[in-house]
Amino acid sequence: MMMRLLKVDMLKMKRKGMWFLTILGPVGVIALQMVNYGVRKEYLLQQNSDYWGYYLKNISAFTPLAIVLGIAILTSFIASIENETNAWKQLVALPISKMSVYLSKFTVLSIMFFLSSCLLMVFTLGFGLFLDFNQEIPFLEVFQYSFFPFFAALPVLALQLWVATVSKNQGISITVGVVGVIFAYSAFTLPDWMIWKWPSLMNEWDDPTINVWLGLGVGSMLYIIGMFDFKRRDVR
Amino acid sequence: MEYIIQTKNLSKKFGKELAVNGVDIRIAKGEIYGFLGPNGAGKSTTIRMLLGLMKPTSGKVAIFGKDLKSERINILKKVGSLVENPSYYPHLTAKENLEAIRKIVGVPKTRIDEVLKTVRLQDAANKKVKGFSLGMKQRLGIATALLNKPELLILDEPTNGLDPSGIIEIRELIKSLPEKYGMTILISSHLLSEIDQIATTVGIITKGKMIFQDSIEEMRMFARQYIKLKVSQHEHAWRTLLASGMKAELEDGHILLSDQTDQHVAEAVQLLVQQGISIYRVEEDKKSLEDIFLQMTKEELAG
Ligand SMILES: Nc1ncnc2c1ncn2[C@@H]1O[C@H](COP(=O)(O)OP(=O)(O)OP(=O)(O)O)[C@@H](O)[C@H]1O
Ligand SMILES: [Mg+2]
Repeated sequence: MMMRLLKVDMLKMKRKGMWFLTILGPVGVIALQMVNYGVRKEYLLQQNSDYWGYYLKNISAFTPLAIVLGIAILTSFIASIENETNAWKQLVALPISKMSVYLSKFTVLSIMFFLSSCLLMVFTLGFGLFLDFNQEIPFLEVFQYSFFPFFAALPVLALQLWVATVSKNQGISITVGVVGVIFAYSAFTLPDWMIWKWPSLMNEWDDPTINVWLGLGVGSMLYIIGMFDFKRRDVR
Repeated sequence: MEYIIQTKNLSKKFGKELAVNGVDIRIAKGEIYGFLGPNGAGKSTTIRMLLGLMKPTSGKVAIFGKDLKSERINILKKVGSLVENPSYYPHLTAKENLEAIRKIVGVPKTRIDEVLKTVRLQDAANKKVKGFSLGMKQRLGIATALLNKPELLILDEPTNGLDPSGIIEIRELIKSLPEKYGMTILISSHLLSEIDQIATTVGIITKGKMIFQDSIEEMRMFARQYIKLKVSQHEHAWRTLLASGMKAELEDGHILLSDQTDQHVAEAVQLLVQQGISIYRVEEDKKSLEDIFLQMTKEELAG
């Protein structure tokens, strides 16, 4: 059943430009570094003798922002597909459980962000090689900077999906999204417990894996809360 | 008796307002059940509860003899539905819309063309639903409801937005379903005339309460005929008739005689003339089903 629901959700996303945004995210993040290194490569190389490390730091300044922004947009899109003509009432009156409906939406979004992360890794490596640093490639760090922000952003994803599916007023989910983006932008100044800070992989212990575990743990929790709330609510 | 739908004391509260109040619906197999009520009566809310979209505040729903709460998915496999305005995905074509449902209900792809043909949308199959007229969207909604060859079809105001020929066409379609496929149908409307010709049973709901539930023939019995007299001094005339043992009613300054045999009418007229009462008009008056429906729902409002 899950496979069928996933296929249905993918069918519904046709012509919505969601896959385009999935690709645009990582392209945008790397494009910023193309401009950055294109304009002032010599200067940037002087800043730090660990060229790859510094390059990754530059990229990771924008990754969290792109992810949080992407989450706000894509969750809003995926909910609007059902909200537009209140197709929830048609969907939920079908012989499927409400929980699987919710799980399917979450899975589709996760797949999209996972794909974004894969692309980010490929583009990071690609442009890094093009820059010709002549240093050993830190594959592990490249992997971490590509995938960790996504795992750390799972709580934001779970929260936004919850808000977008249960609030009849799209304004609310957009507001939550915009506030989230502002938080992600000012991650530096946020306390560690704020979920919008986590994708930046910053914390006072300087260990990004903490953010990943927190992301997975709190993300699952928020997902479960959202799913049960969705199941509990009447469909109008 | 085995009922396809049976509710017990079904109620739904929104805040303090009781939108549905102790409703007992009973629908036998093969019936076309006309679910009637004015705007805001609680039809859609009841239907939502029948489909498990809303949880009842109290009461029970059994469909196919199974409890809806515990066997929702098994029940819904054999139910097709259209609730209020049709839902659709505007950026998809009619075919894609049906495909999105077909994948879930798991019927062969050929069903899509079949139902499109049934509602005569085959020419618009590959057009985006965004550009459809209201009537076409309504047809698509009906096609969607038919996709899984349901044993029970629940349609909430399915002729909303259709033009007269569309209404007739959909009516004929609905009428043919019980014979052809053994379907049982619940169809709601706020106009009696819409289901008058197809319903076998009617349930009338106002202000959340079921005020009538019986066969359409039983309801027609209410459509009594009268002889209506317009006279001078109607009050005096009425008393005169009653005094001589005739059945008469006074309504809006008219006298209504329920016994309409020629002899009885002649006697009444003669009696009144003898009393010096002028008779302006003697006419036959028949209450339409619509009048009865209006009267029933009005009485309930007043009471
Ligand atoms: N989700 C809701 N929240 C609060 N009140 C509601 C909700 N849905 C319906 N109501 C109220 O319940 C009552 C019954 O509404 P319902 O939609 O069931 O009527 P209806 O018989 O289908 O009317 P119509 O012919 O206009 O479709 C109305 O007074 C309505 O305002
Ligand atoms: Mg309604």
